[in-house]
Amino acid sequence: MATAYRLWEILERARTGRFMDEDDFLPKRFTPTLKKLIKQYEIKYDPKNPCPSDDAMADRIWQAAWDLFRDVGYYNTDSHRIIEVTDAEIKEALYMANDQYWVGGGKDARLWKHRTVEDKTPPFCIMSPDITVDEKYHQSMCMAYLKEPLLDGLCGPILEETFGHLIESGGPSEISGCIQHIYNQKMAARLLGRPGTFMVAVGTAEHDSGQIAVSDDNWGVQKTDSRLVGSLTEFKTADTLLNRALHYAQYGCFTGNLTGAIYGGWCGGSEGTAVTTVAYSLIGLMIHGAIYNQHFPFHLNYCSNTTRELLWAISMAGQAMARNSKLLYTSNGFANAGPMTEMLFRETAVHAMVSTVSGWHLWEMASARNKYRNRATPLEARLGIEAGHAVANQGMSRAEVNEIANRLLATYEDHAVDAPMGSEYQECYDVAKAVPTQEHLDMYRRIKDEIAALGVKFPY
Amino acid sequence: MSLEQLSKFVEDGESDSARELAETLLVNGANPIEMIEMLTRTMAHVGELFAKLDIFLPEIMMAGDALGGVVKVLGPYLEKAGGRQCKGKVVIGVVKGDLHEIGKNIVKLLLETSGFVVKDLGYDVDPLTFVKEAETMGADFIASSSLMTTTMPRQKEIIEILKDKGIRDKFKVVIGGAPTSQLWADKIGADLYCYDAKSAPERMVSILETSH
Repeated sequence: MATAYRLWEILERARTGRFMDEDDFLPKRFTPTLKKLIKQYEIKYDPKNPCPSDDAMADRIWQAAWDLFRDVGYYNTDSHRIIEVTDAEIKEALYMANDQYWVGGGKDARLWKHRTVEDKTPPFCIMSPDITVDEKYHQSMCMAYLKEPLLDGLCGPILEETFGHLIESGGPSEISGCIQHIYNQKMAARLLGRPGTFMVAVGTAEHDSGQIAVSDDNWGVQKTDSRLVGSLTEFKTADTLLNRALHYAQYGCFTGNLTGAIYGGWCGGSEGTAVTTVAYSLIGLMIHGAIYNQHFPFHLNYCSNTTRELLWAISMAGQAMARNSKLLYTSNGFANAGPMTEMLFRETAVHAMVSTVSGWHLWEMASARNKYRNRATPLEARLGIEAGHAVANQGMSRAEVNEIANRLLATYEDHAVDAPMGSEYQECYDVAKAVPTQEHLDMYRRIKDEIAALGVKFPY
Repeated sequence: MSLEQLSKFVEDGESDSARELAETLLVNGANPIEMIEMLTRTMAHVGELFAKLDIFLPEIMMAGDALGGVVKVLGPYLEKAGGRQCKGKVVIGVVKGDLHEIGKNIVKLLLETSGFVVKDLGYDVDPLTFVKEAETMGADFIASSSLMTTTMPRQKEIIEILKDKGIRDKFKVVIGGAPTSQLWADKIGADLYCYDAKSAPERMVSILETSH
């Protein structure tokens, strides 16, 4: 935990901080403050440039995010109290934060380092379908992701059933499902010969009890792995979430902070989404003790982040954090289209390239609006991550990626509303062998060639 | 000052101005039924803007608050004039184990501003609480939202409790939330799956009309 030395002071504030009615927190405290800061710092969305090259605005977004967190605080819905921090405490936490960590174990351990804007070091790449799968496909899908050469970490698919029982949050079936989840994920890594692979687990746990049940260095989530603490949109938490932050710190694994600022929601448009996303990184560091932040800002209607209003917010937030901190943070793609569609491949590539050149690490790829069971595969994540490596390796500028993004956006952004839902995992992959079908591979190759023709030099 | 100006105040979320103007208009003999009908159209327009994200959540919430203030002023006048037509009674909430309520709050607002009477049970609501509150209210609808896949089964439990109590036919069960779908609604036997907030009021009116 990055800020374990302040853990108990923070938890105390969750009980004793300023009282506020929950109904008032967002409309009367969060949104007015955010609107004021956007105006004060002259933050302005530019639809023509989904990947802007504006260092000054990036710095203003950073400052606005700092002020937002300091002035608004973080609301605990169980105590109806606001956790507040001071400038001095933010400075201290940022000074104390490490800019790199070794994660994973043994020969599979990876060094995860802070990236800068237009950094030539490839991003750290976590792969995840971010979606639920049928119990019978769970281990196969874990194996399929682990077969990806550029994978640095895995966040496995989510179970809805365990041994035929529907998983209910907070109940016994969730504890069982969580254990099954980590067993499948670890077994897949062992069978693949990557037993020490860094894992983020377990997404099946909605309740804190599910997470706590899988803390075991022998068979469960190990100390070389990571778990996530979420927030309630926007800027709210609850004891069940704080329980996780405390448990992860005391157990000794790596804590990640999971947030998805909602475009169109309480943070408004692109400007507010960017500022809020950056502020969440400070919340992750200081409240949850996170060593990294996992961000998935998304569109209220589409539940995606591959259209230009979201790409702008992602790019500017990444640049703000890259230029003003040494933190680690992943950009989690959410696509409109589903697997084995050309649109999904293009969306993933754009998300990955814009994120990479803006200083982010990658977390790819939720597809089909992150809504439909079995609708995700490793192949779209592969293309995204290869594109991320490519633009880093060749030292591509934000302006160059901006041009490529605009050209690819022209092929899909009008279809955000009616995107094809594509196919399910078992239709795109040989489930037994956990490899893609020829049809799926051919489509991947075709879109990869199309993107290469735009000037992207893939590593292989 | 006119009804058009009142409409503009509501659309812009100017609560104090809207309430003051409504009082003035009523004192000067404005027809309360015409006023509420116009403001219902105003909120439908605001809902359209929000659906396209030409405006964002804070703006529609402010418009809803402004309308709420005007409706309070209108109350006694509407009663004298025969009352505002209630399109249906709804208990709404987020299911047990789930703390995400942004979607539920949007649906609630659109239902209220469309003429439904809504009881908001909040979030992390036990399935039995939905049922008991619906019985107490004499509700037409039980509406539940779930944002997480592992809390979706609680929507099914609401229907199971209704069946076990022998009162399944007394209520229309409406479900929604990001991971839910028509498939899930069919599987658990819900009466209506709400795929978005905007269409919810109209579709709920329609389902009630069909059943009568």
